[in-house]
Amino acid sequence: MSKIEGAIHEIHAMDAMASEDKWINKLHPLVKLLVTFIYIFIVVSFDSTDINGLLSMILYPVLIFITAELDLKMCLKRLRIVLPLVCLVGLFNPFFDREILFYAGSVGITRGMITMVTLIIKGVFTVLAAYILIASSKIEDICRALRMLHVPKIFVTLILLIYRYVTLFLQEVNRMTQAYALRAPNQKGISYKAWGSLAGLILLRAMDRASAVYESMCLRGFDGEFKRENSTQLCGNDWIYLISLSALILFLRYVHLFELVGNMIMK
Amino acid sequence: MSHIHIDVKDVCFGYDRNKNVLENISFHASENDSIGIIGANGAGKSTLLKLLVGLYTDFEGSIRVEEIPVQKDTLRHIREKIGYVFQDSESQLFMSTVREDVAFAPANYGLPESEVEKRVNNALEMVNVTHLADRPIYKLSGGEKKLVSIATILSMTPDIILMDEPSVSLDPRNRRNLISILNSFEHLKIIASHDIDFIKQTCSRTILMAGGKIVCEGATKDIIGNEQLLLENGL
Repeated sequence: MSKIEGAIHEIHAMDAMASEDKWINKLHPLVKLLVTFIYIFIVVSFDSTDINGLLSMILYPVLIFITAELDLKMCLKRLRIVLPLVCLVGLFNPFFDREILFYAGSVGITRGMITMVTLIIKGVFTVLAAYILIASSKIEDICRALRMLHVPKIFVTLILLIYRYVTLFLQEVNRMTQAYALRAPNQKGISYKAWGSLAGLILLRAMDRASAVYESMCLRGFDGEFKRENSTQLCGNDWIYLISLSALILFLRYVHLFELVGNMIMK
Repeated sequence: MSHIHIDVKDVCFGYDRNKNVLENISFHASENDSIGIIGANGAGKSTLLKLLVGLYTDFEGSIRVEEIPVQKDTLRHIREKIGYVFQDSESQLFMSTVREDVAFAPANYGLPESEVEKRVNNALEMVNVTHLADRPIYKLSGGEKKLVSIATILSMTPDIILMDEPSVSLDPRNRRNLISILNSFEHLKIIASHDIDFIKQTCSRTILMAGGKIVCEGATKDIIGNEQLLLENGL
């Protein structure tokens, strides 16, 4: 399987995962979206040196990964491209902020080092929360929830269509590169001479297919709104999830779990 | 129920202003008609179907569906009445599973959830693909995709069905299956194809097109039986 086919397969696998019959998939997308927003907001709100407090926020992803039986190994594999980028964000902090906060043995730990680690943890937690959301909700459901939060129609439609078009674009890239490889068996990769025309053709073909998909959606009554009858109804389980998870996240914000557990053990 | 019909009068259309793809197209189709539009590649068959469903509205002449003119402000009504099956099923199917894709139109027209469910089941039954309901779209074969794409428009309960090259990329068994399904429909059907044998088995009337014009129109057996006429028009 080529890298592009692998990427298409990954998207389909995520779609299939979002359509599974687990308890978390059955929850209303709005509550999952709200919990994700609350979690991200709280994670970001931590002070840039408060590693101790921040670490306790790991409880939410751990709890959901275990109870919803999400595969952590698969998650890390899927996030292998994003996570290094997240880690890059704070990489230069140690060079700019050299104020020593404490010593670990003879090594001086600077403020820059701490803020780098905090940034990385914040980034990883944020990505994990987003992963939980997309692994348990279909893109249409997330878009529906966004509309319920009065996110502008144009913005939501854009998200929905970009998601659809990414697959189409990858399929076209795959077709074109396969066609090229079959007629250039001794070449590794694509010659730079063909880059221009190939990129242009891929773009045109992807646009053609994208407009056909959009036409198909319009012909079946799509106008940017999600009109399913039950789209606004939250049931008991939704409320339980929303209230309990929000309470847990707020509790973790103000109670440093690891410090608390550590103190109890020490006593 | 109003009398189902399509009236096309003196329609001219071009993708750019200098060159018309369709020239003076006129025909009438009424309830229970099954019309085949045949012609060589580039004859204008697909463009004509797209005009009927309002994908392009900047044409000259007039197109009326049950007395409603096809124009920008009537598209919602027109599209509730007409189901359009694309040549490329890949473009028609965009949701994750078959059930969701078939439910897309009735849900978008704001029907109650129970009615959506009923329509989905009916549509899947009509094309004998109930067993595929929960299957992801990307796991369907070409023939299955074609049948599911027909189900996606049947769930809209349209009065009129337009199909663009429905037999393309179907194996003989799926082709036979599709023919028998189409023949069981009582809708007004318009099928564009250069598969003459397929048209012969599904349509009672045929319109022959060439170079964006209607060359002749009549009973399918008369037009398809005229080998000379077909040869002259690239078929």
